Amino acid sequence: MKKIILSLLSVSLFVFSCSNDDDGGEQLPLGDYDNGILVSAEGGPASVSYISDDYKTVENEIYYNVNTENLGVYLQSVGFNGDLAYIISDNANTITVVNRYTFVKQAEIKTGLITPRYITFLNGRGYVTNWGDGTDTTDDFIAEIDLTTNTVTGTVDIAEGPERILAKDDRLYISHKGGYNINNIISVIDTSDNSVETITVNDAPDEMALDSNGNLVVLCSGDNRTLKSDFVETAASITRINTATDAVIETLEFDAGMHPSQMAHDNNEVYYAMSNKIYELNDDASDLPITSVLDVADINLYGLSVNNNKVYVTNASFTEQSELLIYDLTNASLLETFNVGLGASKIYFN
Amino acid sequence: MKQIITFLILGLSVCNDLQAQVDGVQKLEAVILSDSKLKNYASGVKIEKLTDSILRNNAISLTNLLAFNSNIYFKENGAGMVSSPSFRGTTASQTAVVWNGININSQLNGQTDFNTINTSNYSSIDIRSGGGSVQYGSGSIGGSIHLNNDLKFNNHSETRLKTGYGSYNLKNIGFNSSIGSKAWTVNLGVDYVDSDNDYKYLGTNKINENGEFHNLNMNVNLGVFISNKDILKLYHQSYMGERHFSGTLVGPSRAKYEDENFKSMIEWARTTGKFRSQLKVVHLHEMFKYFENKDKENYSLGKVNTILVNHNFNVRFNEKLQFKTILEYSNSKGNGDSFKEPVRNMFSTTVLLNHKPNNLLGYGVNLRQDFTTGGERPFVFSVDAVFDLFEHYQIQINGSKNYRIPTFNDLYWQPGGNLDLVPESSYQIDLGQNFNYPNFNVKLNGYYINTKDMIQWQPNITGLWSPINIGEVASYGAELEVKSHYTINKHQFNISGHYSYTVSEDLETNKQLIYVPFHKGNLAMAYNYKAVTVFYQHMFNGDVFTTADNLKGRFGSLKSYDVGNLGCRYTFFKNTKNELEAEVVLKNIFNEIYENVAFRPMPNRNFNIQINYKL
Repeated sequence: MKKIILSLLSVSLFVFSCSNDDDGGEQLPLGDYDNGILVSAEGGPASVSYISDDYKTVENEIYYNVNTENLGVYLQSVGFNGDLAYIISDNANTITVVNRYTFVKQAEIKTGLITPRYITFLNGRGYVTNWGDGTDTTDDFIAEIDLTTNTVTGTVDIAEGPERILAKDDRLYISHKGGYNINNIISVIDTSDNSVETITVNDAPDEMALDSNGNLVVLCSGDNRTLKSDFVETAASITRINTATDAVIETLEFDAGMHPSQMAHDNNEVYYAMSNKIYELNDDASDLPITSVLDVADINLYGLSVNNNKVYVTNASFTEQSELLIYDLTNASLLETFNVGLGASKIYFN
Repeated sequence: MKQIITFLILGLSVCNDLQAQVDGVQKLEAVILSDSKLKNYASGVKIEKLTDSILRNNAISLTNLLAFNSNIYFKENGAGMVSSPSFRGTTASQTAVVWNGININSQLNGQTDFNTINTSNYSSIDIRSGGGSVQYGSGSIGGSIHLNNDLKFNNHSETRLKTGYGSYNLKNIGFNSSIGSKAWTVNLGVDYVDSDNDYKYLGTNKINENGEFHNLNMNVNLGVFISNKDILKLYHQSYMGERHFSGTLVGPSRAKYEDENFKSMIEWARTTGKFRSQLKVVHLHEMFKYFENKDKENYSLGKVNTILVNHNFNVRFNEKLQFKTILEYSNSKGNGDSFKEPVRNMFSTTVLLNHKPNNLLGYGVNLRQDFTTGGERPFVFSVDAVFDLFEHYQIQINGSKNYRIPTFNDLYWQPGGNLDLVPESSYQIDLGQNFNYPNFNVKLNGYYINTKDMIQWQPNITGLWSPINIGEVASYGAELEVKSHYTINKHQFNISGHYSYTVSEDLETNKQLIYVPFHKGNLAMAYNYKAVTVFYQHMFNGDVFTTADNLKGRFGSLKSYDVGNLGCRYTFFKNTKNELEAEVVLKNIFNEIYENVAFRPMPNRNFNIQINYKL
C-alpha cells in the first residue's frame, strides 16, 4: 500500500513538475520508471521489473504495485510507442497499455487477439502477430490496431507461427518461427494494400533487426529439437535481406550442432548467444566469428539485450525468481545480478 | 533431525492401566472385501475408513470428501477442474489410487484426477497413510486411497435414488441398487453430474468463465458362488466426462477436455482349508482429448490400455500366522499425439507375511521385486508392527522403501521425453499411537519420508523442457485424528477432526515444496435428534508457497483460508422398506475469498439440495 501511495504521489509530482519544466536545468524523470531497465517476465504470475540505470533502485512487480492488478499470463513481449508501452499477454489474448514511465494503466485491448506475440507500430497503427490456436496451423494472423481507440480494426491472414514483427517504410517484416511447429519464412506485408510476400530462410527464424546498412538481419536457430524421435537437424543461420528488393543478400550458415538461441543488435554489431557464449558479428562481416566475446555463467539463458557495450541476459526460472545478469563487454566481466520475475525473458531500456 | 525425533516420540510417555487387550475375534459378516490386504497385511499401518454412510452424506466428489474428512491436502485448478492431492507433503503422483486392490493411477501422468471419482460408486473408501509400494506398486509413497466395492452375500434388496440441485445450475441424479442372496450378489450404480460452474469471483467483477462440466459414472459389481469353495467376481467401473477448462484471474480459457476411464476386473477365488487362491484379470482403459479451442474440431489425444493378470496365493496357517505370495504381470500400450506407441511390460513378485505371536504384538514383513521393460528393477520392502500395550492404547510402527516409476509422459513425450530416467525412490518411517475408548478415538502419528531421484521437468541447455532425476526431498510431520460420538437419550453427537503439520523440503535448498501447507485441519460435527440432523464441516488450509524460493506475497504464496459448510438433513419417513430424506447444505457459508491454486478463485457461498429415497 505504501508503495502505491508513493508511486501515486510521484505521479502527481510529475504532472506538477511537467508544467514547470521549461525553466532549463536538468531534465526531470518522466515517472518512477524512467531512466532504467525494464525486464518483462512471462510468469505466471507475469510481471515487470525496473532497475534504474545507476542500479540503485530496484523494484519488481511494478505493474501490480501501480495498478493493484495482475498482468495476464504469459507476458510475451512489450512494445513501445511514444510515451506508451504495450504489454502483450499471449494466453490472456490481451494487450495492456500503460504509460511507459509511470506504468499507470491507460487501456486494455481484449477483443480480436488470439495468442498475440509481438507488436510494432507504423503510421498510427499497431500491428500484432497472432498465433491463433497453437494447434491450428491455418488461423494465424496479423491484427491491425487503431492506436487512438485501442481496438482491432482489421486482420491479415498469414502462415503458421508468426513471431517478431518489424516495420520499415510502409512494409512489415514478420519472422515465422512456427509456433508449436517450425516454419522457415519471413512474411512481408505491404500495408498500402495488405498484400503478402514471403521470403524463405533457414528453419525457425526469430529475432530480427535492421542493421547499419539498412538490411534486415534475421536469426534462424535451425531445427534443434533433439529429443524428438523423428528429429532431423537443420542448419542455423544469420540471414541478411535487402529491404529494397526483399531478396536474401547472404546466409551465414552455422555448422551442424551449432544453434544460436538469441540475437540482439547494437551499433554496427549483431550479438548472438550460443551455448551460453556471446558472439559478435559486424554488419559488414561475411564470416561468422570463431571466438566468442563473452562467456556467460552456466544459466538458463532466456533473454538477451545489448546496449552501449553492456550485455544483459536473463537466467530464467519458471519455478522461482529469475535473474538479470549485466556484463561489461569491454572486459567481459559480470557487473551486476538482480532478482527479477518468474520466467524473465525480455530486457528493454526505458 | 531433532524435530523429526520429537515427532516420532510425541506423547510416547502417556500411560494407561495395564490390561492386555482382549483379542477381539471379529465376527465375520457376509461381506467379502475386494482387497483383503488392507485388513490382513497392515497391522502397523494407519488406515482410516470412510464408511458408506459417510460417503452418502458427503459431496459426491472425492476431492471434497477427503479435503473435509482426512489429513490430505488438495489443490484444484478451480472447482470441478483437475484435482490432485498432496499426501504427507508428497507430490501429486506420489499418492496411489487403488480400485478394488488395483493401482489405477494414470500411466500417462502418474496421477488420478480426484474430481473424476464419484464417491457414490463405492461401498467404502480407505485412506492408507504412508508407503505401500510393496502392496500397491508405483506411486504409493505418501499414501494410498482405496476405492472399494465390497460384495454383500446375504439376502437383501436395496435401491437408493438420489437427486440434487444446487447453485450454478448443479444437477445430479443417481441410483444404486444391490440385490443378493447367500449364493450371489449384484450391485449396479449410475450417477450423472452436470454444472454450469459459473460462480462469481468474489471481490472482482469476474465470474468463472468456461468452467462447465458434466460426467457420467457407472458401475456393475457381481459375485457368485459357483461351488462352496469357488467364487467368481466381476467388477466394472466407467467414467466419461467433459469439462471446459475454466479461465483464471489472469487469463481466459477456451479449452475443453474430454476423458474416459474404464476399469474391468474378473476374479476367481478358491478357498480350501488354509489356502486361498485368487486369479484376477484386469483391463484398464484411459483416454483424454484436449481441445485447445472448444469450438474447433482439432484436439490432442492420449490413451493407454492396460491388461493386468494377478495371481495371489494366501496360506492361513492359523489365526495368528498367514502369508501371501503375489505374482503380477501387466502390459500397457499407449497411443497419442505427443508420443508414438509406447509399451510397458511389468512383472512383479511379492511376498507378504503377517504374524501375531501373542496378544501384545502383531507384525508384518513384506517384500517385492519388480521387473520392467525399461530395465528398472525396483526392489522394495516394508516392515510393520502393532503393539497392543494397554486396553485403550496401541502403538503402530512401520518402515518401508517405496518407488514411483517414470510415466509415459516422462519417458516418451515428444519432444522432451527422457528414456534415461530411473524410478523415484523413497524411504520412510511412521510411528502411530492410537487411543481407543468406546466413545472416543485419537490417532497421533509422526513420520519421516526421504525421496530421492525426484522426476522434474526443466528446460535443458537447448531450451527444451525435459524431465530429469534431480533433487531429494524430506517430508516429515505430525498428524492428529480425533473421532468421537455420544448419545444422550435420543440426542446423538458426532465429532471428527484432523490436523496435520507438514514440512516437506527440498534438501538442496532447504525450502518448503510449493503447494504444501505447514498446517491443515478440518472438523466435522453432526447432531441428530429423531428425524433431524444438523451438521457443520470446517476446513482450514494454511499458507502455501507457489514458487520454489518461498517468497511471501501475491507473487509467491497463497493466503490461508477457512471454509465452512452448514447443512441440515430431515428424514420424512423411515421404515423397514422405505426411507425418504432431504438435505440442504450451505457451502462456504462465510463467503471466504480463497484460491487453492494461484489465480484460480474458488466458489463463493452456494447451496445444494439433495433428496434421497431408499426402497
